[in-house]
Amino acid sequence: MAAVTLYHWEPNANSGKPMLALMEKGVPFDSHYIDMLNFDQHKPEYLAINPQGTIPAMTHGDLVLVESTAIMEYVNDAFDGPNLMPGTARDLWRIRWWMKFMDQWLAPSFSMFGWKYFVGPNALKAHGQDKIEAQIAQIPLPERQLAWRKAVFGLFSEAEMAESGRRIGVGIQMLEAELAKREWLASDQYSLADVNGFNLAYAMPLSQPHLANDDLTPNIMRWLRAIYRRPATRECWKLGRTPMASRVEILEQDYIPPRAESEGIESGVR
Amino acid sequence: MGMILYHGEPNGPSLAVLAALAESGVEADCRPIDLLAGERHTLPGVTEPLARDMGIEGEGPVLVVEGEAMTESVFIAQFLDESGANTLQPKDAYAHWQMLMWCRRITERCAPAAAFLGCQATAQPRLAAMNQAAFGAVLNTIASEDLRVRWVAVAAGDFPEDQARDCIAKVTDAVALVETQLADGRDWLMGELTIADFETYGWLAGTVTLVPDAWTGKGRAAAWLARVRARPSVQSALARATLPNPESQWAPGPEINRWG
Ligand SMILES: N[C@@H](CCC(=O)N[C@@H](CS)C(=O)NCC(=O)O)C(=O)O
Repeated sequence: MAAVTLYHWEPNANSGKPMLALMEKGVPFDSHYIDMLNFDQHKPEYLAINPQGTIPAMTHGDLVLVESTAIMEYVNDAFDGPNLMPGTARDLWRIRWWMKFMDQWLAPSFSMFGWKYFVGPNALKAHGQDKIEAQIAQIPLPERQLAWRKAVFGLFSEAEMAESGRRIGVGIQMLEAELAKREWLASDQYSLADVNGFNLAYAMPLSQPHLANDDLTPNIMRWLRAIYRRPATRECWKLGRTPMASRVEILEQDYIPPRAESEGIESGVR
Repeated sequence: MGMILYHGEPNGPSLAVLAALAESGVEADCRPIDLLAGERHTLPGVTEPLARDMGIEGEGPVLVVEGEAMTESVFIAQFLDESGANTLQPKDAYAHWQMLMWCRRITERCAPAAAFLGCQATAQPRLAAMNQAAFGAVLNTIASEDLRVRWVAVAAGDFPEDQARDCIAKVTDAVALVETQLADGRDWLMGELTIADFETYGWLAGTVTLVPDAWTGKGRAAAWLARVRARPSVQSALARATLPNPESQWAPGPEINRWG
């Protein structure tokens, strides 16, 4: 079997999806940590793998794959191990529907908060204004350049943040309603939709403590704790190197009460 | 298990799904609906409306199975294929990834742009001509706040210049991508005929008149378009048109990426 290398940042959002899928599947891989705040993703060594300069990327022998959710589907198709897209054709549809909804509608709203309150300020602190300007100018994708500019220089508009906040509120209610219907997000069996969703949602009780907690969203909390208990999840989160990954430990608490919205922002890792 | 496919005029995502249905051999009761009258939002017999209400695609087709509303044309097409003939997706894992990547490229970048330009050309006059009360009544049935915002923008003729230019560029890129993909002489985008052909055809067929410059000198892409159009499955989809030029019929589509 050809060797697999995964280029990833913290187990979180997009990087965490293929990391956890590989772990669940039991596929051994070389982990290649890309420090996003140090702009490793724009260094020539990495651009030789993924010219777009985004993470994650995976190589399997000579093949190069990008796009976190599509990588997960490839991993599920290409390797033996537990089937992470189980069920009927309709279940598969529901898995795909939820992944697209999260990837395109909900996750970008979460990440707007993450970039405004965490990525931007931390990168600015680490590098200083002049160096960061030069770094941003080298980013291959125009939309990623724009994201970095907005994050580092605080340029997200109030309307943009309000819309993202609205979507987070709606999305959390949708997840809660869906998880009240069945054990897992898209069907009665654990699937890539849960892997995807956990990466999106694991820190919600910290970052959205007013919206996601044991009083308001008991089904989300049950689901997050169940995924956190899985051995693959434990292994996966060990690959994190920053306080961002250790946020997952909040799921060890048996009861998480509601807290004020401001406490989420103050936790600094929204 | 009776299935009902509610579809708009055979263009965009409705065309893609109707063609995939015909290829799959699956039985479904196809019912045309008037998307610009908001009929998609008041379908009878829907007990699980979430995917209809919150789908990314906007006014795409809805397949109702046991009360569950299924949306997103690529995923409906996969569902039909997997429930039927199973011929429209590569079996090799990497080739399958390539097809998914292609479809994402089309649905995320080309589709919002084509829908924007198409709505500007043909949906805007129709919505603007509706009386206020009737339009308000339609808006009231739309659950998603951001989809409602897109409807209001179309009716108001709110099509900013810079966005229109960006949409033309995105459509032009998509046609160029097709032209390049066919450079090795292949007939279909992925080599074998797949969902990617129907999805791409659905979003691009109408751009021949919307963005004619995008097609200048694109002989391979134009020949591919004619090839897809000649498929019996596409012909049967087009035969379901209730208006003379189905490829000029548009309704509010996916939103343009908020991150740029
Ligand atoms: N849709 C892609 C998104 C990839 C992406 O944009 N990743 C972000 C990190 S989550 C990134 O690489 N950022 C690097 C940069 O903007 O410089 C996926 O899911 O893989």
